[in-house]
Amino acid sequence: MSTAPIVADAALVAAVADGDSGALRELYQRHGAWLHARLLRRCNDSEVVVEVVQDTFVVLWKDARRFRQDGEVGAWLWGIAFRRMVSRLRSRRDVVLIPEWDVLPTLQQVMPSAEDQVLLGVEYGDLAAGLRRLSPEFRSVVQAVVLDGLTTKEAGRLLGVRENTVKTRLHRAKAQLRATLTEPQEGWR
Amino acid sequence: MTTRTGEWHADPALLSRYLAGDLDAVTGASVEQHVSRCETCRATVGRLLEPQLLERTWAGIRDGVERPTPPYPMRVARRLGLPEPTAVLLASAASLRGAWLVGAFLSLSFATLAAYASGGTALAPFLLAAPLAPVLGVAAAYGPRQDSLEALIVTAPYGRTRLILLRTLAVLVSVLPVTALLGLAVPGPAWLAAAWLGPALALVPVLLALAGFVGPRFAATVVSLVWSGVVLGATWAPLAPTWPVEAAQQGVYVGLAVAACAVIALRAGTDRQPGVAL
Repeated sequence: MSTAPIVADAALVAAVADGDSGALRELYQRHGAWLHARLLRRCNDSEVVVEVVQDTFVVLWKDARRFRQDGEVGAWLWGIAFRRMVSRLRSRRDVVLIPEWDVLPTLQQVMPSAEDQVLLGVEYGDLAAGLRRLSPEFRSVVQAVVLDGLTTKEAGRLLGVRENTVKTRLHRAKAQLRATLTEPQEGWR
Repeated sequence: MTTRTGEWHADPALLSRYLAGDLDAVTGASVEQHVSRCETCRATVGRLLEPQLLERTWAGIRDGVERPTPPYPMRVARRLGLPEPTAVLLASAASLRGAWLVGAFLSLSFATLAAYASGGTALAPFLLAAPLAPVLGVAAAYGPRQDSLEALIVTAPYGRTRLILLRTLAVLVSVLPVTALLGLAVPGPAWLAAAWLGPALALVPVLLALAGFVGPRFAATVVSLVWSGVVLGATWAPLAPTWPVEAAQQGVYVGLAVAACAVIALRAGTDRQPGVAL
């Protein structure tokens, strides 16, 4: 780490909007890796992931002005990247979205280490237990809308169901989670 | 950028398991949510991921950022799903540039206007212009004078026949829909709106066949003069205004087109050398 004062992400985006390619490089160094990692968990083709991340940063270069300065840069980039990925999925049948909730059924039995418990506890409270109890259909909707930030319409396209079905499932999933948590959580629309 | 997690950070072992896909869904999602908001853990992920992968992506980003915006026809061709080399070849054709298309559109509009103003008695301007627009477009799509890439194309191992047919197709796609729309505005029998397609589609292979012998410019001149002769002759005779596109004449055009295609196929088959046939 250098001793230079750390510039905020939002300031870097503003610099990119002014055509500063050094700021783009810095943003890539901060956000490129985790975007790769997060996309790789959803797509089994690393070529596609590389292209999606490339597209995302080229979009950032061109559309940096559109960034709302009060937003979070990471969330904004993820929004661009994941939407690109979903639209790719629609045009190319050979790209497979890993059905994340259904993999590794054996590992689900293995309880996470104490550290994981802390992490889950901090992030979600008892939510982890609630999520585990949801049916796969409900979990994929929660994943797409709540965790990945798609609109219900986009989630419907991704999951191959109608938008109303997504809304219904999301509604029921939230009700189930509320019941599990005994008290309603903040931040669940 | 700080969250409720405060000073807690995922340790590298947990993150490696996350990257390897070894975490179950809920734990994985949990790590993910934390990493996307935590600067320190994002940096750790950056150290754990293959540097080659990150470098490869960055190289692509740099290319994408430094590449100038391609001209409009190329972007349209790319949008339609054509590969980039094909898009470049198409965009360099003179008759696919904006100015040419606007010119063709204007002359066709005036021809339609003239036919419309005469109330259907003088169809000659439209019948003259409509089939010639694609013919001239195709003629201008290749050849040493029109093509800015000519020197490159001659030396490249790229089938000339393929290039010419590709550009012909592109010209037809860009000109025919506009002409068809204008044809609807021409007064007269309803079939007239489609009838001009016969000579239009027949004259293009005739032009290509002729161009193989005498070059595109001369061939375009010959075809234009002959077609003008047919249309003006019919007006002069005087025959019905629709005479050049009536059923019997359409048969002749089909025959001509078939003969021209045969000539092209024969020459393309005998001369294996690329570029000789056309």
